[in-house]
Amino acid sequence: MEQDMQDFAVEARRFLDAHVAKALDRTAFTWGEGDDSMAYFSSLPPEEEHEHVQRARAWQRIRHENGFGWITGPAEYGGRGLTPVHDLLYDAVESEYDVADTGVLSVIGLGMIGPTILAHAQPHIKDRWLPAMYRGDAIACQLFSEPGAGSDLASVATRAVREGEDWVLNGQKVWTSVAQHSQIGLALTRTNPDAPKHRGMTAFLVPMDTPGVEVRPLRQMTGGADFNEVFLTDVRIPDDHRLGEVDGGWTVALTTLMNERATVGSEGVGPVAAALSPDHLSALMRATWTWDDRALRARLAELLVDVLATEHLNARALHKLRAGVAPGPEMSVSKLMYGQNLTRAAHFVSDVLGPRIIADTGQWGTYAWTELLLATPALRILGGTEEIMKNILAERVLGLPKEPVTAAAREVRP
Amino acid sequence: MTADESELRELRASVREFLDSKSPEEAVRKLMESEPRFDPAVWAQAADQLRLPGLAIPEEYGGDGFGLVELGVVLEEMGRALFCAPFFATVLLAAQALLASGDKEACARLLPGIASGRTTATLAVAEDHGSWDPAMVLARAVPDSDGGWTVRGRKCFVVDGTTADVILLVARTVAGPTLFAVQRDAVGLSAEPMETLDATRAMARLTLDAVPATLVGAQGAGGRIMATVLDIASVGLAAEQAGGARRCLETSADYARVRHQFGRPIGSFQAVKHKCAEMLAQVELAEASSREAARLADEDSPDFPVAAAVAHACCSRAYMVAAMENIQVHGGIGFTWEHPAHLYFRRAKSSQLLFGGPAVYHERLLDRLGI
Repeated sequence: MEQDMQDFAVEARRFLDAHVAKALDRTAFTWGEGDDSMAYFSSLPPEEEHEHVQRARAWQRIRHENGFGWITGPAEYGGRGLTPVHDLLYDAVESEYDVADTGVLSVIGLGMIGPTILAHAQPHIKDRWLPAMYRGDAIACQLFSEPGAGSDLASVATRAVREGEDWVLNGQKVWTSVAQHSQIGLALTRTNPDAPKHRGMTAFLVPMDTPGVEVRPLRQMTGGADFNEVFLTDVRIPDDHRLGEVDGGWTVALTTLMNERATVGSEGVGPVAAALSPDHLSALMRATWTWDDRALRARLAELLVDVLATEHLNARALHKLRAGVAPGPEMSVSKLMYGQNLTRAAHFVSDVLGPRIIADTGQWGTYAWTELLLATPALRILGGTEEIMKNILAERVLGLPKEPVTAAAREVRP
Repeated sequence: MTADESELRELRASVREFLDSKSPEEAVRKLMESEPRFDPAVWAQAADQLRLPGLAIPEEYGGDGFGLVELGVVLEEMGRALFCAPFFATVLLAAQALLASGDKEACARLLPGIASGRTTATLAVAEDHGSWDPAMVLARAVPDSDGGWTVRGRKCFVVDGTTADVILLVARTVAGPTLFAVQRDAVGLSAEPMETLDATRAMARLTLDAVPATLVGAQGAGGRIMATVLDIASVGLAAEQAGGARRCLETSADYARVRHQFGRPIGSFQAVKHKCAEMLAQVELAEASSREAARLADEDSPDFPVAAAVAHACCSRAYMVAAMENIQVHGGIGFTWEHPAHLYFRRAKSSQLLFGGPAVYHERLLDRLGI
């Protein structure tokens, strides 16, 4: 297994060397020079956003043509038929290179919805969409969350009513990442209001150009609009676009959620890497004459202990991958720590900067930190709230019992 | 020599099996109130059956030549079991100081006895103030007329200081802090046990009144030697701490699964569940940082000094958090003398402060990062 992994890593490296450059060290910098952006979320103007999506598609196509587009997928739909460990190892190797950010395609669509379509869709739907998705042609979004159903996903209220060979969908979805770029969406709907709430839901694949689908950008506290609201008004979907059984949508949703991949090596890229870099943070203390403040130094040390220990956690996951072993709880811990470390870094820097983070003096590398500061509350919510993550760690890793189901939770909320 | 993953698992299993039978809680409780605070028969078995003292001593000095990775596995298990033995002082502090000194003659003289388990040893640096910084050492060594040395001064917090056969110590000479070896039965040496927060780790106060001593390594090399030894010793301590923290987490999770209150297991309450999840996060970080530091040490990586400082700080905090929350999860029962939780709390706090505590190791980390 280990040898097989080494060979695969060599092959991946050969492919990447032929197509892209090695990544620059994003943490190396000189104080006062270059871009001082600290944005976690992008708030690009529409034209730039469009270009970004086009670059993602182009890189996915090159990956696909070289056998790295769908490493775990079956050959009949253009996949490579390898293990999830190969997939993670490829991501780790690729993170050493300067490639286009394909998150718009991969985080939701290829990572979560593709495997769900593969598991639950009818053959001609698989033929129609899977190759298109993994070639970079079709982007997919997840029409799960609603204003009344966030962490408690089984409370979805969007209705789907059967009319002959079709279903008619009505309702509102929210916090829908990449919906503005998507060709298809995976919708979770309520088809049986009388059944216990987990048993009355059905999943559908919704082409986003179907009449009645309206995507509206949702402006966030950062000022940008990464998410959307999606309104479904009399949206007519053929029955062959149903995934899984009627009223069996919960099983389909679980497939999607279980494919929420842990990503190795994707952390620490982008401008926020600087927020966790010892060089950058110490340069900031020098620039603000807080260098010898004992209290701030102690806090910097504590922050760096967590940052560097988290790096060691990732390094050990990588050793395991190279040996062909799937990483264990360290990946969930790593995700938890990443959000916490960025949050603590943002607040540490706020204390170093003082008033310079409440109003812009024009000085390089100071007020720019507001971009990270304003993103930190979202880091504790997105991709599963911190509370849900801790429940998962406690229940799946430590084997603690689940919260008992209360009478209220058993009730159906149509 | 380097063990692969399956050999490490085998080593862990055999050490755990040994400690389960030789160092159960009753044995620990009995030893922590006796003098000496270890069982010489069990120590001899650890040496003869498992060859533990010689594990990480080079083959040329009678050991098996493994590194800090293998030593870390043993220390994790000893930390789990709160094993009362002269292992930490002898193998981690004294043997590593000898190796770091580069004094082949001293190594050839002392390490084979340590490797076989026949000789126990310790390292005495701190004095009344508790600092392990050699620059703070007040004990003085002067050459005597026949080419030897004599040492005057006091040493405190000396682990296994009343029982160690050989005491390595740092004393000042005109050339600066210097390492010396002193025999247990040397004239002018007296040792009295200190009352300790953690009774499973014996400590002593030494008084040296013109004690004959042997120079180890070069005169004035004590600072350099101690920098190396502290990095290695703090990674070894980190392994012990990670093992103890893992044990606290397991004890808590086991209890939370079975203890019922309000008609359901307490582990089903989110407040308890999240406490356990936070302990898990700390334990995972602790194991990763100590094991990674050990790996970097064995590879002679330039990243080792930073990693050692990270491991020391990370594991000190993780163990303290796990030991405190372990008591909280157990409720009132966790606060009793009969429950083992306090033994881990005592070890966690004592270990956190053994080499100077957070203020010292935070500055050490920043120093290593060039900040």
